[in-house]
Amino acid sequence: MFEWLSLGFTTPAVLLALTALPALWLLLRVTPPQPRRIDFPPLRLILDLAPQQESPARTPWWLLVLRLLVAGLVIVAMAGPVWNALKQAVGRSGPVVLMVDAGWAAAPDWLDRMTAAEEIVRSAARDDRPVAVVSTGAPLAEVQMGDAGAALEKLRALKPAPHMPDRAAILPPLGRFLARERNAELVWIADGVAQGAQAPFRDGLKALVGSHALTIVSGPAARPLALAGVENAAAGMSVRVLRAEPNGRDAGVVRALDKRGLPLGEAPFSFSAGAAETRADLTIPVDLRNEIARLDIADERSAGAVALVDESSRRRRVGLVSGATADVAQPLLSPTYYVARALTPYADVREPRMGPNDAINQLLDEKVSMLVMADVGALPPDIRQKLANFVDKGGLLLRFAGSRLATATNDELSPVKLRRGGRALGGALSWESPRTLAPFDQASPFFGLPLPKDVGITRQLLAEPEADLSKKTWAALSDGTPIITAERRGQGLLVLVHVTADTTWSNLPLSGLFVDMLRRVTALAGAGDPQVQANANGQPATVSPLRTLDGFGVFQPPPATARPIALNAPLLASLDHPPGFYGSPDTPVAVNALAADATLAKLDVSGLGATLQPLRSEPPIDLRPWMIALALLGFAVDTLAVLWLGGRLTFGRARRAATTAGVILLAGAALLAAPPPQAFAAEQRPPVSPKEMDAALTTRFAYVTTGDANVDEISRSGLAGLSSFLSARTALSPGDPAPIDPARDELAVYPIIYWPIVAGRPAPSEAAVRKLDDFMKGGGTVIFDTRDALSNRPGGAPTPETAALRQILAGVAVPQLEPVPRDHVVTKAFYLIDSFPGRYADGQTWIEALPREGPDAERPARAGDGVSPIIITSNDWASAWAVGRRGEPLYPLTPGGARQRELAFRAGVNVVMYALTGNYKADQVHVPALLERLGQ
Amino acid sequence: MVKVRVLGAAERAVGTRHATGALDLARRLPRLAIEARRIAATAAHGIHGRRQAGSGEAFWQFRAFVPGEPAHRVDWRRSARDEERYYVREREWEAAHTVWLWIDRSPSMGYASALSQAPKIDRAIVLGLALADLLVRGGERVGHIGLTNPVASRSIVDRIAEALAADQTPPADLPTPLPLAPLTEAVLISDFLTPAGRVQDAIERMAARGAGGHLVMVLDPVEETFPFEGQAVLADVESSQTLRVGDAGAFGALVRQRLQAHRQALKDACARRGWTFAVHRTDRPASEALLSLAARIAERDAGMAGVRIGGGG
Repeated sequence: MFEWLSLGFTTPAVLLALTALPALWLLLRVTPPQPRRIDFPPLRLILDLAPQQESPARTPWWLLVLRLLVAGLVIVAMAGPVWNALKQAVGRSGPVVLMVDAGWAAAPDWLDRMTAAEEIVRSAARDDRPVAVVSTGAPLAEVQMGDAGAALEKLRALKPAPHMPDRAAILPPLGRFLARERNAELVWIADGVAQGAQAPFRDGLKALVGSHALTIVSGPAARPLALAGVENAAAGMSVRVLRAEPNGRDAGVVRALDKRGLPLGEAPFSFSAGAAETRADLTIPVDLRNEIARLDIADERSAGAVALVDESSRRRRVGLVSGATADVAQPLLSPTYYVARALTPYADVREPRMGPNDAINQLLDEKVSMLVMADVGALPPDIRQKLANFVDKGGLLLRFAGSRLATATNDELSPVKLRRGGRALGGALSWESPRTLAPFDQASPFFGLPLPKDVGITRQLLAEPEADLSKKTWAALSDGTPIITAERRGQGLLVLVHVTADTTWSNLPLSGLFVDMLRRVTALAGAGDPQVQANANGQPATVSPLRTLDGFGVFQPPPATARPIALNAPLLASLDHPPGFYGSPDTPVAVNALAADATLAKLDVSGLGATLQPLRSEPPIDLRPWMIALALLGFAVDTLAVLWLGGRLTFGRARRAATTAGVILLAGAALLAAPPPQAFAAEQRPPVSPKEMDAALTTRFAYVTTGDANVDEISRSGLAGLSSFLSARTALSPGDPAPIDPARDELAVYPIIYWPIVAGRPAPSEAAVRKLDDFMKGGGTVIFDTRDALSNRPGGAPTPETAALRQILAGVAVPQLEPVPRDHVVTKAFYLIDSFPGRYADGQTWIEALPREGPDAERPARAGDGVSPIIITSNDWASAWAVGRRGEPLYPLTPGGARQRELAFRAGVNVVMYALTGNYKADQVHVPALLERLGQ
Repeated sequence: MVKVRVLGAAERAVGTRHATGALDLARRLPRLAIEARRIAATAAHGIHGRRQAGSGEAFWQFRAFVPGEPAHRVDWRRSARDEERYYVREREWEAAHTVWLWIDRSPSMGYASALSQAPKIDRAIVLGLALADLLVRGGERVGHIGLTNPVASRSIVDRIAEALAADQTPPADLPTPLPLAPLTEAVLISDFLTPAGRVQDAIERMAARGAGGHLVMVLDPVEETFPFEGQAVLADVESSQTLRVGDAGAFGALVRQRLQAHRQALKDACARRGWTFAVHRTDRPASEALLSLAARIAERDAGMAGVRIGGGG
């Protein structure tokens, strides 16, 4: 019904309810939303008017459409819509042969293939059609038909093979089956990749299919990427990246892993448009490069995307032999010194400390892949024979000239015939200056190396002119004399450098060119395959599998079907030889899924007359929740619209409502996506108590509750009295004083805290002291009142109250204190006073010491930068301030009198003003001077 | 749809904003315009002679002393020149004009729409107070019917505003229809959304002794144009009556027709007693209404003076 939409329904019968929509339309149309209410004062003048048109307005069409849409959505949602619903079976009747490509190329999207296969099997089962599953990955004797259960079981057992299987192998049994079952249908889940010639399989299949229906399920483009042909060149390791056809995967990353699977590096690659092959170059240091055991394409799970690297592309084992035995004592003068230094980073250099003959023997036994002989002259015949054999079997013999070689006669192990004696250039008896190198020929392996200007050759061995001398020449001097010659012998290579390996004949070993040249020569050295050498007796040497790859490119123990591989043949992966490492764990041989020169081609299915189906990879999506959500959204819009039509929602409020709705939605989304709720809780500040709110909104004083009810009452009534006095005399109208507990309450909202000291009470907690300290540092003022002026004796023992105060202040950073000086700004903050009496008149009042000024400072008032965080008095101020409900003083004063009470209040006012305004009054004293300066 | 708003009782209360607004408005009026009007109105404004003997400063005439009069009235200087009789110096009777103001504060006045500049009640009070200020500055005495006595105080705005604010009696649709003294004028500012018959009765009774008057009908633009569409429920402001209208757009024509008739009836009622009638919409500036009202008062005074001069001369 909805094939073109790839939309399906789980219960399509519900869709019948859609036919009820027209009825709903009629119903909705005649029930318009509630009318809006308009306040209209002149109504009483027109009440008797009968409205001419009484028929109500219809529901607006857009509201109607919206409601119908919502209803339709609900109905459709109830029918269980599914996007990408599973498709029906491919054909109509007869047995189904399901042919599954199961090579590595099928591995990347194996699950999709299996899903598609199961889908086909299930649809066949629904039609009661027998199914046969045929995999290209395993040998097939006969096609066996079975029911869907057996087919599914077989499907689930299928695994992609790590090699590229030969599809033609299944043609004979398939042909026999198709010939037997005339109405069989063939479904081929193809991977879209072909290697090698395609014609035999295609033609064979075409012949087989004949009149049978053939469906090919394949992706729109072949997805797999593959690696082949690792080359550990001088500049870096590079690998070919292949694909069968342009498939949109134009860029990627090749990872390099070592033997244990640890990543060593990455190399990006990108295909140019339409290209099927590109290269990835790993530019990592060569010693790291030598550790690489495996290259793979990141995120590509297939054996084809893995290139294993073995000894052959790793560093060479190089033996060094010097003709001078005595040089051992002076290693820096050894002819091999420069060679060893140049080769060590790239090769495994062995240099036995013994005579040349023994050394050569030993090195050949060690299976070096390259032997460097520096100025080795005549050799005994057996050694010479061994060396010749070494070169024949792929070894590389690099010789440097020298005086010994110059005198040797008839040396066969030289690419060219040498003239006896050589020549000297630029010497004392020569007119010629030292020769430099000519640019390298294109055929030379050194082609492209930069030529340093300062290389000079003073002496060299000369080659006898031959017909093919120029062919053998890798490097020549500027006058054309060969300086490096080479000859291929058997599988190996013989290279001769016509100068010494040290600096006696030339300064070439000192140049960077020397290092580059040696590297290139080393790269030419064939792999020292010990197995090949060991079994060179005619029988093909075989090595058994060590670790093999499965189809997904994962290492695993070799399967039971894996068999040893012969080394003399090209190492190609097959069913018997799955890709992996073979041989000994030390020097394993790598077998890759793709040969070094492999190419991939697009599978050609033209001419088969097949029905093509895309391999679906999107899973079915259940649309029901989305539709219901959409319907709910429609309901919400409908509600808003009805409110708006009814006049209950104006535009401004609508916008606000929309914003609110948006915020709620966002918050919901955030809640869904978000971290557990305690993350929010951690960020929330503790709630502000009403008490703090009040204190913050109205300036009020606080007193510390001591636990002694009498003292607390004195504090409260005292501060209340001071507050009313302030309201009467000043512009400040403080609120009711607040009792606080420093440990629990927020102190920052109070400007002044009055703290009467009561002896014998427990010391405040550490938290309280810390908060008190913070309060004082934050600009608050604490008034400590020890109330002990009567009992305090100067110089006497501290009173209990003083002791208690000291205990409290032990944890507080108290500034330096001094008795209030006469010129302190607190004495002039509101009233001009000179003492701070309270209930007692003779107690001392302490305040933060002001910075001393010079003796010539004539200022009438001094102030520091801020407000003193602490004021300590012993005069029991609160008792003097305390008034009753009718304003009557509560406590008698000592010595007494209305004047003392007035002064006590004035002192309190000054302290409050000082705490609230700071050094403002101290600045005021400049006003006369300023006015005078202005000419008043 | 035009948004409308009914003000609550608190919003309708008279406050400082009205007094300040009125003073602002009165001050904003171009002084020249006022001066021009005063000149045009000749003696109509301010301390104007009543062209008859009475208590005043200006000399009016000498007349013969009538026996029985108090002796201190004799003008001895004049009498000394005549041997036969005594003379009495008469001064011209001077009297300030009295204007009675009345501002409607009923709930229906607390009404504003999105088209208006201010609620009706704000506009009415500002207009009334500004007029009072203007008149007092012109030398008239102004009082609010039922609230204050007519005075010529410079702080008339504050006095009337205070009286309005202090008034606790439930606001009525129309002023107490007591006959006003002759030669006084009434200025009624209201929306006059009461049946025209009642308004006419009130006018008749107030003008029974010959007082003049001016009606200013303050309307919200919505009340005049009825710019509503679709289905609606019309609700009264002062009662709980509602009217369901199927199609407000079609109903609007009827409404406008009815309101037009109502206005015509009011105009006729005014014309019967020589009162003036004007409509002020709250989407127009208040100064416009104030100027036209002041002009009408001045015109009427001038007319009256002219009639009197013509008749008495």
